[in-house]
Amino acid sequence: MLVLGIETSCDETAAAVVEGSGRVRSNIVLSQLDEHRPYGGVVPEIAARGHVLHLDRLIIRAMAEASLDFADLDGVAATAGPGLIGGLMVGLTTAKAIAAVHELPLIAVNHLEAHALTPRLGQSLAFPYLLLLISGGHCQFLMVEDVGAYRRLGTTLDDALGEAFDKAARMMGLPYPGGPAIEDAARSGDADRFDLPRPMAGRPGCDFSFSGLKTAVRKTITDLPGSPPRARDVADLCASFQAAVADVLEDRLGHAAAAFHGAHGRGGALVVAGGVAANRYLRQRLAASAARFDLGLVAPAPALCTDNAAIVAWAGVERLRHGFTDPLDVAARPRWPLDPEAKPAIGAGVKA
Amino acid sequence: MMAGAGPGVSRRRAILALDSATAACSAAVWRNGAVAARRFAVPGRGHAELLIPMIQAVMAESGLAYRDLDSIAATVGPGTFTGLRIGLAAARGLAMAAGLPLIGVTTLEAVAAGVAASLRAGRTTVVALDARRGQVYAQAFDTALGPLSAPAALEPAAVPTLAPGRPVVLVGTGASLVAAHFEAARRAPGDGLPDAAVVAALAVGRAASEATEVAPFYLRDPGATPPDVTG
Repeated sequence: MLVLGIETSCDETAAAVVEGSGRVRSNIVLSQLDEHRPYGGVVPEIAARGHVLHLDRLIIRAMAEASLDFADLDGVAATAGPGLIGGLMVGLTTAKAIAAVHELPLIAVNHLEAHALTPRLGQSLAFPYLLLLISGGHCQFLMVEDVGAYRRLGTTLDDALGEAFDKAARMMGLPYPGGPAIEDAARSGDADRFDLPRPMAGRPGCDFSFSGLKTAVRKTITDLPGSPPRARDVADLCASFQAAVADVLEDRLGHAAAAFHGAHGRGGALVVAGGVAANRYLRQRLAASAARFDLGLVAPAPALCTDNAAIVAWAGVERLRHGFTDPLDVAARPRWPLDPEAKPAIGAGVKA
Repeated sequence: MMAGAGPGVSRRRAILALDSATAACSAAVWRNGAVAARRFAVPGRGHAELLIPMIQAVMAESGLAYRDLDSIAATVGPGTFTGLRIGLAAARGLAMAAGLPLIGVTTLEAVAAGVAASLRAGRTTVVALDARRGQVYAQAFDTALGPLSAPAALEPAAVPTLAPGRPVVLVGTGASLVAAHFEAARRAPGDGLPDAAVVAALAVGRAASEATEVAPFYLRDPGATPPDVTG
């Protein structure tokens, strides 16, 4: 089985071809970071303009690197949501066009499902498992029970975790994107210097909130000497910030693990996915936390954690095997929760 | 029928044309010098869901396979940002998948070409498409549909300066916004929306491009401003 994957839900334009065996035949990602950097975040209209200019060229490259013609494919998968609607429409429409010409099945992929199924790409991991999805758009615990069967245990009630990193970095005068910048600065910092809050810690359930942490970072910066603050202070604040985040994740994981074990028995795997899962400090801390709660940590390679099309193609493979295909009039969905039963979190909007 | 279409050229060509750049959404197949199949709707929204099934319908009705086509044609703008991206994503995707070149036509040309030749004769055709924000996308054309001005986003009051000194026929979704600023202007009948059948006819006489080189023609910048840093 060979599936072409297309990803255009945010600021990466990407195309990839994946085999049913899990072998990635090609995986091309074009980041628009430089276009968005002056704005300190992704500008939807700029992102959409970039996708339409580059996507077909990337698909041509992905097909060439895989040494395939479109007629060799068994399906075309594209992210259909959640994400920025302008970009989603470009990717989904392009996928529909290929599917129409070559009479191929179309698979409209939920971007969160693509992250959720990533640990099964190239390795064998059986259902069910516990997923912590931490990205620029999301922060959730999900029980992954089968392809298309997800139960949300908790979500952020305000900012996504990647968003919290970006905003904290901006306040400290660090470059966009904030995640790698904070991780780098924190390496030489003292995590015990600033006593930042651990929002939601000690409370029941698995939900997250990062607005209080963000406010505390801002107040700390205001109280620091110098503007912009000195490198030493920034390093210490970054380290303290990451430690606070890791403590929150650990606290919430305790509750998520209990829920998971209650439903599926002891043991099992904790999968961390999404762009923030590329943070090495958090990966280390999560490995220790998982072990504490009788879970084995599975973290996909960092290149598969950030947005890419190989994971979309793989979700296409998994859905195609179940016969889950979509008609050519399927609509992109800017908001598309993986668990349709989960209650909306008002402050988080599409992030939940 | 169209300017620039040499005899014989139109007879040989088989073209799939599409448009979703404005409130309308349409697809047409041109074959043997005539429109073989056409679908046209004014859905307002939902172009992304409508367009590909429309294309499938005209292809089926024409009896042609994608490999029988020799090019794809599409409107490139100006229009709604989202609408023209849907149209170009479809057109570039079809062209890539079928190994075909692409012919880009502006919405302004397509709307001008939709005016009957008898009405254009002896007049300057002025196209005005409603561009929201108190502006229109406007361009003036001579009787043979040669451009007399560059495409521009203008205040309605500025549009008459595009066509000084000759009788005017006004067309487009913004015609009602600019009509009062002309001393005298004939209004073309119809809704002034682009139509893939007209796009196909225009494309017949034109050279095709590598599909990856045909870009949206926005006429406006993205309108982005750096964010406030208070988070």
